[in-house]
Amino acid sequence: MNLSVDHLSVSFADANIVKDVSLKVRNKQFVGLIGPNGCGKSTLLKSIYKVIKPQQGDVFLSEMNLMKSSPRIVAQKLGVVGQFNELSFDFTVREMVAMGRTPHKGMLETDNQEDASIVSGALRKVNLEGHAARSYNSLSGGEKQRVILARVLAQQPEFMILDEPTNHLDIKYQLQILNIVKKLDIGILAALHDLTLAAEYCDYLYVMKKGQVAASGKPEDILTKELIGQVFDVACETYRNPVTGALGIAYLEAQ
Amino acid sequence: MQTDLVAQAEPKQSIIHTRYGFITVIGVLLILTILSAGAAVSFGQVDIPVSQSYRILLHHITGIQIGDIQELTSGSFVDIIWKIRFPRVLMALFIGAGLTLCGTIMQAAVQNPLADPYILGISSGASLGATFAILIGFGSMGLLGQTGVAFWAFAGAVGASLLVLILASAGGKMTSVKLVLAGMVINALCTAFANFIVYFANNAEGIKTVTFWTMGSLAAASWDKLPLISIAVVLAIFFFLMQFRVLNAMLLGDEAAVTLGIHLGAFRKAYMIITALITGVMVASCGMIGFVGLIIPHLVRGLVGSDHRRLLPASILFGAIFLIWTDVIARTVVPNVELPIGIITALIGAPMFMYMLIKKGYAFGGKS
Repeated sequence: MNLSVDHLSVSFADANIVKDVSLKVRNKQFVGLIGPNGCGKSTLLKSIYKVIKPQQGDVFLSEMNLMKSSPRIVAQKLGVVGQFNELSFDFTVREMVAMGRTPHKGMLETDNQEDASIVSGALRKVNLEGHAARSYNSLSGGEKQRVILARVLAQQPEFMILDEPTNHLDIKYQLQILNIVKKLDIGILAALHDLTLAAEYCDYLYVMKKGQVAASGKPEDILTKELIGQVFDVACETYRNPVTGALGIAYLEAQ
Repeated sequence: MQTDLVAQAEPKQSIIHTRYGFITVIGVLLILTILSAGAAVSFGQVDIPVSQSYRILLHHITGIQIGDIQELTSGSFVDIIWKIRFPRVLMALFIGAGLTLCGTIMQAAVQNPLADPYILGISSGASLGATFAILIGFGSMGLLGQTGVAFWAFAGAVGASLLVLILASAGGKMTSVKLVLAGMVINALCTAFANFIVYFANNAEGIKTVTFWTMGSLAAASWDKLPLISIAVVLAIFFFLMQFRVLNAMLLGDEAAVTLGIHLGAFRKAYMIITALITGVMVASCGMIGFVGLIIPHLVRGLVGSDHRRLLPASILFGAIFLIWTDVIARTVVPNVELPIGIITALIGAPMFMYMLIKKGYAFGGKS
């Protein structure tokens, strides 16, 4: 599944949040979206997954025009891992994950054996099998985020959007979630905060600033000290991490 | 390691969480509903032996004859049971089920555990309508007066809830917070108008009627009032039982619901309008009966969890049983006096709510 965003613009009142952005995720790539707070990356993602209606532009998932398709049809193909939130009413972990089957089910259809095994499989993948009967609201932040991920896994999407799912999580959980997602072998578009994690996990990066794409390319090509200085307003040096050989960034001073 | 942690952490889940357990719960509740409906007709100013009540009801419903035919068709108890008490018990059953259904739906639709069937300004709108009808309108014109009160109460309820819906969607998207606040505003406004009418009304008897009306009563129940209520409530029950996936998604919030393929906006509005209509019909025929729609859904959530597939059937039956028995208390607790049922539901409901607050394991909406 390829995702292509063509000339997308979003504005609220008279503020243009996203200005004529185009981007592409080719077959099974892990593509990262980075940029400072308020650069419009979350708004861009929300308009791709139909929470916000863009003023202009189209989004295609392979042949399907997401802007013109019903949420249900879209949800059968596209999974979205957002940030977890507290619920007003509690569910068990298993009930939460089982809701991932919603787009595949008719109004009156109840969950069958196959759904049950999909749900169990999703719980196993995020390592929460033992918590199936626990109440969702009693879990820790890292566990809640993994439940949300499991719900999206139960949706069996062919493409996944991660809307800053690793914010506020300990590094262990950030790594866990990114590892699980990376192993899925489907196309991913992820808004990420941590630049070194983005460099490590992403095949390709789009850098946003003030609602526009400031740069795009392979992580090692574009994550230069000049670009980081210009986009994030932070002076830094980049280096090869002596242990992992991956890209390292040493932040020096905010400008 | 992991399993140790799980075992230590207090498993704050519903009491019943297996499929088998749930089927048992529904079975028990169904049997209790039927037994309650039969037993409740025995109590009142005149006590009638339960066995005789059952035989009379059985004979009237199915034609099966147990015992003396004379006793079953023309005994002195027959009229009391068949013409007065049984329609009233059925009314309690449908109103209890309907209020609980509407409460559950409202709590999901506005994602607020404090929501009840009257949250959309229905209570004050209906009060205003009834006050108007009793003190100004056609209140004193006999039979027309009675239909007048019911009609105006219904009109007030539906009018107020439409106003709330319009107000909540003014200036962009309708959110649950805006709905709750709009409900409060309309409530305050309608109450002010109603008080205005009461203050200037020089009609002590009328004011007493208004007061009695706002406290709720099933005393006016009769066979000819049942069809409207029962059809409305039963249709709503079937409709919402089919909506369990949407209702569950509602509890996750708008964004998560969209990513699961459900755009909540239209559903929420439709649910509100249906609930407002049903509540309007109920309020028009029996006044305001508080606490039922608020507390029963919470109580049953503690028992079977938040999944509407289980919550709805269990809470509807629970609500029906609850109201049948509170009505029995209302008409028997003080000899020769019929208490407004709203007083009883509040007297039972408030301590139950307190118990749930104090008891660990159920967190209403917030995190405990």
